[in-house]
Amino acid sequence: MGNVSSKNFVPRSRKFVRRNQKSFFQHKHDRKYLTSIMSAVKRAQQWATFARTWHLFDATWQNPFDSAQVIIKHLMGLHKPIYHPMNDCGDHVVVMNSRDIALPGDEWRKRVYFHHTTYPGGASWTLAWELHNKNPTLVIKKAVYNGMDGNLQRRHTMQRLHVFPDDKIPEEILKNISNQIRYLRPVPTRLDHISPEEVENYPKIVDYPKQYILR
Amino acid sequence: MSSLRTCARAAIRIQKLTSVIYTGERGIKRWVAPTLRVINKRKAKLGPQPEPRRSNFLDWNYNAEIFAFNKRLSENFDVELLQQAFTHRSYVAQEEQKQREVGIENPELSIKDNTDLIVEGKCLTSEIVERYLRQALPRLPEEGILKLKDYLLSEEIVAKVSVQIGTKDIILSEDHPVRQETLVNTFFALVAALARSNDVVHTSFFVRDFLIATLSDKEILSIWTPSHPFQTLDAILNREKRGSADFRLTAQTGVNTILAAYQVAVYSDQQFLGIGTGETVQVAKNIAALDALQRMFGIADFSRPIPFNLTVDVSSQRTENLPLTKWCTENLKHTVGG
Repeated sequence: MGNVSSKNFVPRSRKFVRRNQKSFFQHKHDRKYLTSIMSAVKRAQQWATFARTWHLFDATWQNPFDSAQVIIKHLMGLHKPIYHPMNDCGDHVVVMNSRDIALPGDEWRKRVYFHHTTYPGGASWTLAWELHNKNPTLVIKKAVYNGMDGNLQRRHTMQRLHVFPDDKIPEEILKNISNQIRYLRPVPTRLDHISPEEVENYPKIVDYPKQYILR
Repeated sequence: MSSLRTCARAAIRIQKLTSVIYTGERGIKRWVAPTLRVINKRKAKLGPQPEPRRSNFLDWNYNAEIFAFNKRLSENFDVELLQQAFTHRSYVAQEEQKQREVGIENPELSIKDNTDLIVEGKCLTSEIVERYLRQALPRLPEEGILKLKDYLLSEEIVAKVSVQIGTKDIILSEDHPVRQETLVNTFFALVAALARSNDVVHTSFFVRDFLIATLSDKEILSIWTPSHPFQTLDAILNREKRGSADFRLTAQTGVNTILAAYQVAVYSDQQFLGIGTGETVQVAKNIAALDALQRMFGIADFSRPIPFNLTVDVSSQRTENLPLTKWCTENLKHTVGG
């Protein structure tokens, strides 16, 4: 028992000692057990917690500025209990039918989008209806972009927004989707979309006389 | 009135300020920086120094340390046995060698070392841990109990516990800084010393409170995982005469991305058993089977935590937990009930 230390003493070359001087003197232990090892179940829980969900939002007859608030909530992950500004927990949102958005009041005519090319005389003002005619995805995209705080994360968050003017969504994106965001207001049915027979057979309060001329 | 109050507050504050912050110096003297620079340069030139031995300091009082150790842990060690538990054979050999160098042919020291205490304490600790785990986790298969025991008695864990109850500086041993092995042996010697000073029941409390309680923040599945979850689950369901495991895909998202997530749940006879998530269906299935098993064994996150207030009876008959090959709810009732 007396030569415990001499038994464990292994002569090392000078170079080796110098290279390992720090660990040699600090007497570091093998930390195999002390560092917590994650079990497979815990790893799966972590995977589930940070999984990015793909949401679908149908923009038909929706106010883009109200919708933007809901879309932002999902894009940034604000609806999650693990949310933190420095936590990358945002989801993907796929917006379809952006061509059929409904602006409130006379916004189509009054709302102006400003752009400047940075050259003298390069300023331009585009009305909402003009912009929508040029690119039917831009009004909702800009609504989401302007609805977020201007910071370094904003452009990265925007990458998770996928806007399509109609219901033709590429197959590989459609397969990712697993949730639908509920519409903010019900889509109204227009009279000219109802078949003439149905209109004809609908119960009426008064029957006009045969001679009555409808203008 | 309020102005009076503010005045009084200000006066108190000023008194505090003068008493705490006033040091009688206006700034840092010009000699401080160059002196520190030279000191650091000399330190770097000397290279890394060995760790100083606490017992070589002038204010070291070994008897006081031993007394304090006893009181700190609220234990009732016999002081002689406690000193013996801290004295390793290598220290005695070193002392004898010192006497021989002086010229004494047959050095006779009246110091007792802890060699037999270590052997005794190791057996006792192992016995207590094993029995305690069986009592605290009656649903865990025997394989898991043994793995947990190995984990608790591993050198890293026992050495850490040993350091944390404050043995490091009091150990009388040749090696410095104290090696892990020495720390572990000291802990075992302490257990044996306590068993001799008091009784085995009290010793089991000591082991429970300092060693077994380290399990409280550990996830049992990260220490022991059944190696073939599918087969194990199927075998258990078969033994319980229930329908075989039925895996169903319950959710999936981002299928075409690298962050794809699949959620699979296991059912048997329309009864939910467990749920798992993974980057592929196969991984998720595996996790679901593991989850079902951990729910059965009572070691899931939401299961009742391991109790740390049990009393083990070392003298009672040994009853092992069910091994994985025999594990089923019916057998469990017999074992736990009888």
